[in-house]
Formats: sequence, C-alpha cells, structure tokens
Amino acid sequence: MTERSGFKKPVKVVIDGREIVAEAGEMLLQVALDNGVEIPHYCYHPKLSIDGSCRMCQVKIEKAPKLAISCNTPVADGMVVDTKAGEVVEARKAVMELLLLNHPLDCPICDQAGECYLQDYSFGHGRSEARTTSPRRKGVKRYPIGPRVVFDQERCILCRRCVRFTHEISKTDELRVFGAGDRSRIATSQDRPLDNPYSINVADVCPVGALLSADFHHKRRVWFLEETETVCPTCSNGCNVKIGAFRNRIERLVPRRNDEVNDTWMCDHGRLNYAFVQDDTRLREPAIAGREPREPVPVAGPIDYTRDSDGREVRAAGPSVDEAIAAAAASLRAAVATYGENSVAVVLTPTLTNEETLLLARLVREELKTPHFALAVPLGLSDDFLIKPEKVANARGARDLGVGPGDGGKDLAGILAACASGEIKVLWVVGSDGLVAAAGLDAVEPAVANLEALLLQDTNRSALTDRATVLVPGCTWAEKDGSMTNHAGRVQRIRPALRPPAGLVADGEVFARLASALRGEATAPFEPRTAFAEVAKAVPSYVGLEWARLGSRGLAAGQGA
Amino acid sequence: MPLSEELKARITAEFPKYPERRAVLLTALHFVQEECGGWVSPDVVPEIAELLGILPIDVEEVVSFYPMYHSDPVGRFHVQVCTNISCCIRGARGVVRRLEENLDVLSGEVTGDGLFSIGEVECLGSCGTAPVVMVNNERFVENVSADDVPALVERLRARAAAGGTNGSNGQAGGR
Repeated sequence: MTERSGFKKPVKVVIDGREIVAEAGEMLLQVALDNGVEIPHYCYHPKLSIDGSCRMCQVKIEKAPKLAISCNTPVADGMVVDTKAGEVVEARKAVMELLLLNHPLDCPICDQAGECYLQDYSFGHGRSEARTTSPRRKGVKRYPIGPRVVFDQERCILCRRCVRFTHEISKTDELRVFGAGDRSRIATSQDRPLDNPYSINVADVCPVGALLSADFHHKRRVWFLEETETVCPTCSNGCNVKIGAFRNRIERLVPRRNDEVNDTWMCDHGRLNYAFVQDDTRLREPAIAGREPREPVPVAGPIDYTRDSDGREVRAAGPSVDEAIAAAAASLRAAVATYGENSVAVVLTPTLTNEETLLLARLVREELKTPHFALAVPLGLSDDFLIKPEKVANARGARDLGVGPGDGGKDLAGILAACASGEIKVLWVVGSDGLVAAAGLDAVEPAVANLEALLLQDTNRSALTDRATVLVPGCTWAEKDGSMTNHAGRVQRIRPALRPPAGLVADGEVFARLASALRGEATAPFEPRTAFAEVAKAVPSYVGLEWARLGSRGLAAGQGA
Repeated sequence: MPLSEELKARITAEFPKYPERRAVLLTALHFVQEECGGWVSPDVVPEIAELLGILPIDVEEVVSFYPMYHSDPVGRFHVQVCTNISCCIRGARGVVRRLEENLDVLSGEVTGDGLFSIGEVECLGSCGTAPVVMVNNERFVENVSADDVPALVERLRARAAAGGTNGSNGQAGGR
C-alpha cells in the first residue's frame, strides 16, 4: 500500500508513450491503473501486500534486461514503459497458458463466470487453443472450507490473495499454501476452518471461482443481477456495498471500495443480513385494530389479480396505508385533545434516512409538540475494524438532526415507565425491533399493556406487531432513496434496488401524509432530493453538502464548504 | 505425546545460530523426526510453533512443502525413490512399482508391521547415478533397477531382524 501522507518526490514516467507524473515509491502497476492504463494482474490487490507470484503484470521497461512485474517495480524518474510490446503480449499468453493448464474450465457451472479474471484475461490476452493433451490435475470441489465459504481447488490459480487477506486483514491466519510445485494447494489447518467475521471477503478477492460465498453458491448467474450502489444497513459503520437483485429480490450483497469507510471489505454478518427484506417476517399489509385484515393482493402479473374471473374489480377488505395513517392521526389528535401534548410519546429506531428523520422530527416538534421523543439504539458486539456497536445504520444522522427529548422530555426508559404508569396514553413507535432490543421485552411489555393506543410503523414482524392499534408497514433500506450518516459523520447515499411491496410507501411519505392529516391541509409529497436540501440546512456541519455531490462514496460532514 | 525437555533444549540450543527464531524451524523439524518416530505428528505441531513463536499452520505449511518431512507416520525404513526427470527416464517408476509389489503397499503407505514405507521424492541431486533411492537419511543407493528391489528389501529386513536401528546416517546396505 502506498503511504500517501507526507511529501513524496514527484517522478515522471512514460507509459505507452504517455507522460505520467507519479510519486516516488509508488508501484508501476498502481500508477498505470490510476491513470487508466489497463495492465492485467491476478495476485496484485491494492489493499493487500505485494506477492508478485502470478507474473501476469509483466511489462517492458526500456534499458531493463528483461520484462519486469509492474506490481513490484517502483516508478523511477525517466522510466519508459511499454505495456503492449510483442514480448509482453507473448509473456501474458504464456502465463495464461500455465494458469489454465490445470484449470477445469467448468465455467458453465461456476458462480464466478461473468465476473472472472481468468475469463476476461483469456478473452483479452490468452491464446485461442490449448496445446496440452495431458489430463488435468484433479482437486477437491465444493468443499466447505469454512461455514460461509465454498472452495474449489481445481479452479485455484494460487495467487495467494486469500492467504494474505487472512494474514493481513482479518488477522486470523486460517489459510496457507500447502504442498509444493503442481501439488500446491490452498488449505486450512486440520481442525481450524475458515471462520472469522470477515471470511466471505476471500470470495471477493479471489480473482477466479476457487473461493465462493456459500450463500450465493449456484444461486444466480451474475449477469442477471441488477446492481445498485448503496450502503450496508447492519451497523453504523456504513460500509459501501452493492445490492445484486434479480426479479425484485436481493440475491447478494458485495462490498465496494471506499477508502474512507471500508476499503474494499465488509463483515459476513452485514453481507448476509438481507433476508428480512423478502422473508415471511416482512409486514406487507396495514392493520387497524378491530378491522378485518386486508386480503393479500398478489403482485400484478400476466394474470390480473385485481379482477375476478368475471372481470369485476376485487376490493381488498382491509385498510389501506392511507386509512391506517388516518387512524393513527385520529388517535394522536384525540390523545392531545383529551390529555394534552405530554400524553403522546415517539420512539425511533434510527434505520430511516436523514430526510425521513428530518420529517419525523419536524412532525414531532411542530405538530405533536410533545417533548417525549427518544431514540432506541440496539447495541451489540464490535471490533476495532469495521463492526460498530450501534446495530442500526443512521443513529448518528438522527442525533445530528436533533432527535431526542425536548424541554422536560423523557428519555427511552422514562417514556416506557410513563407508558406503564398511564401518564403516556399513545406511543408511536417507528421501528419496534430496535425498541425491543434496546430496552428489553421485559420493559416494553408492561409499557404497551397500559396504552390507549400503540401506533406501529415497522418493516418486519416483532414481539409488538400483534399489540399494535394501528400498523403502518414501512419500506426497508433496499427500497428507499436518501442519505444516511455513518458513525464518523460521513453522509452517504442509499439507493433503491427493489420496488416496495404493493401499496406501501417510504416512511418519509408516511410522515408527509401524517403531517397533512394532522394539520388538515395538504403538504408536499416526500421527495428525498428536496428533503436533503432541508437536511443540509438543519445540521450545521452538513451546511453546503449537496445531493448531487454525495456521489457513490458520500461526503464527510464539514466537507460542504 | 509432548516434546521431551531434552528435545526442546536441543532445539533451543540452535537459536543463537540464526537471525530469527522462525528460521530454526527446518532444523527443529529434523530433530523432531529423529526423535519422534520419523514423522511430525499433529500433537507436537502446536508445541513446535510455540517454541519458535510462530503459528501451528506455519509449521504445517513447511512440513507439507518438503518431501523430507512427514505429516503422516512412516515405516522404520522409509524408502524414498527419486522420481524427477533423470531417474524417471532411467526407470524410477519401475522401481516404485516393484517396491509396491514386493511390500504389498502403495507409495505413501506403511506396511502392516510398521517396517517399511514408500515415498516418491523430488530430485535428490544424483542424476549421474539415476535412479536413486534413499532409505531414511542414509547414504544413497545408486543405479537402482527394478530387479534390485527384492535384494534391497531383504537386506533391510535382515538389519531389522538383527536389531538394526533406525539410525539416521548408517549404511543402508548399498552396493
């Protein structure tokens, strides 16, 4: 890794006839890549130490006696490099031939197919026919090298990226190269499988299909995935990720590079934490206590499920989102009118975007005027790498936006106690999982037992779902557009990868409609981009941040100037 | 079976000869094999690692790299046939096959009485007298043909019957 701090002497190199200014000590391959010159490589990885074993990145350097591996050649002033010389092309062909000598070429059933460097470089730099007739070496296939990673030894090209990852990044040292010569293989110690909180990253660094995510194994061809750049919602670190979706379902999450946040890594827990978006615990239908549950409306398809066989419109019996919002508004208004503003409390699990949180905070302060407004932040294990103790994505953003008790307001424990004592009559919970996790079911049970109304806005079934007077199902992070602020104050975009379940709207839109119901006048529909402009004004350190400039890697609070 | 204190002392005594402790690993593994039945059992790997300040997997990696170290038990006479190019051209495969037939085990296996095991090794550096066989760490048996195998095995059996030890540098009964 290049140390970029401190003054480094600039050097001029010429790559393929183009003059490039680099810093002394930088490696030629990285300089080339940074300047848009593609040099094929396998073992080199910008976030791992240099191995120099694959020989794929050889280039011709003027006055050098032979080809040099560009990954391990520091740039020098006046260096003249040719990445396309005849001998370079020949060397690459030879390397490709060697790497493919024992490769099983089982691309048709390989998960890596479509994002495989062996395929890409064979296409770009290989020879078009095999010259060997010897049988290929056999190795273990579909071997569970760890609980979350599958290993295919035949496909391995021994670049040792995975070995370096477990030594340098996860610092768990489960993998080594065993044996010698053509019997070399990646393996674990006998009774120590590849099992660490970051283990699936080896599937990302693997340039071929040798190490694969067990979760994604034989699940979907990668070229069918629609990829969306977003941020992981599992803790407050805000690792940059891509959602890979197919037919409106998440098939996988993979990390994407952001040197300010997660380099190119993410934890296994975050990577595998997406089932809640689409499993049976997902809340899809609004509910109002005492009303018939709505018949589930199937997704519109070739058959029109909104009409019966005679072509008559089928009316769902249950309440719509708007009816649930109206019921919630009526409940809140009645409590304020009868018992005063202090009889209402709001608890937020900060999984919402900044824009949604701003709308909620305004609603609480300006419409409900209750000071009892608390954050429920579930906590858990953390480490000194990526995993942070706050197990929600946007606690920092919610605090930055001033979510918390107003003058004379109660904190979370105080609100729950006041609910139990009957002082608070109506509790509005946005995200009950965080509330239950943060306060404990033992504290929450007596609190909700004594309420006149429990208003619940939630994405998934929880211990409180059946207790709700009004239930408004919300959208998950995968269905929303907006910004979130990570623990360190970096404001990052999340982007919608999926369409929400039929009839549901983003929480921001719920707040907008609730505000208009409470006010009795129409308000503008929720629009993330315009709401972000308000967010940027509301938080001093966000001033000057612009939606369009958040880009794919976000901006640090204070960078707005 | 833990490492004996004597063996540990023998390894520790090597430390001053090397710039860093991990460099003692190759020597230590030789000592271990000499004193612990000719192989590096999984039981002793953590102890070696701890002594040298490295990880058990580092020890296993090195053991797996060199044909001279064994992660599985070997016979009292570990008969190693060089199967690199010169020896192969001069009939090393036939030597291995004849050994397998004669001892009724496959290359890589140990006979039921624990007396013999067969191994194929990388170049022993004696291409001029290929094919070459090395029993344990003893002097090479050179210019071996498949037909020499029965006599070689008999000589070794006789040594065993006479109470011959698994001495590391003795004569294997070469020509």
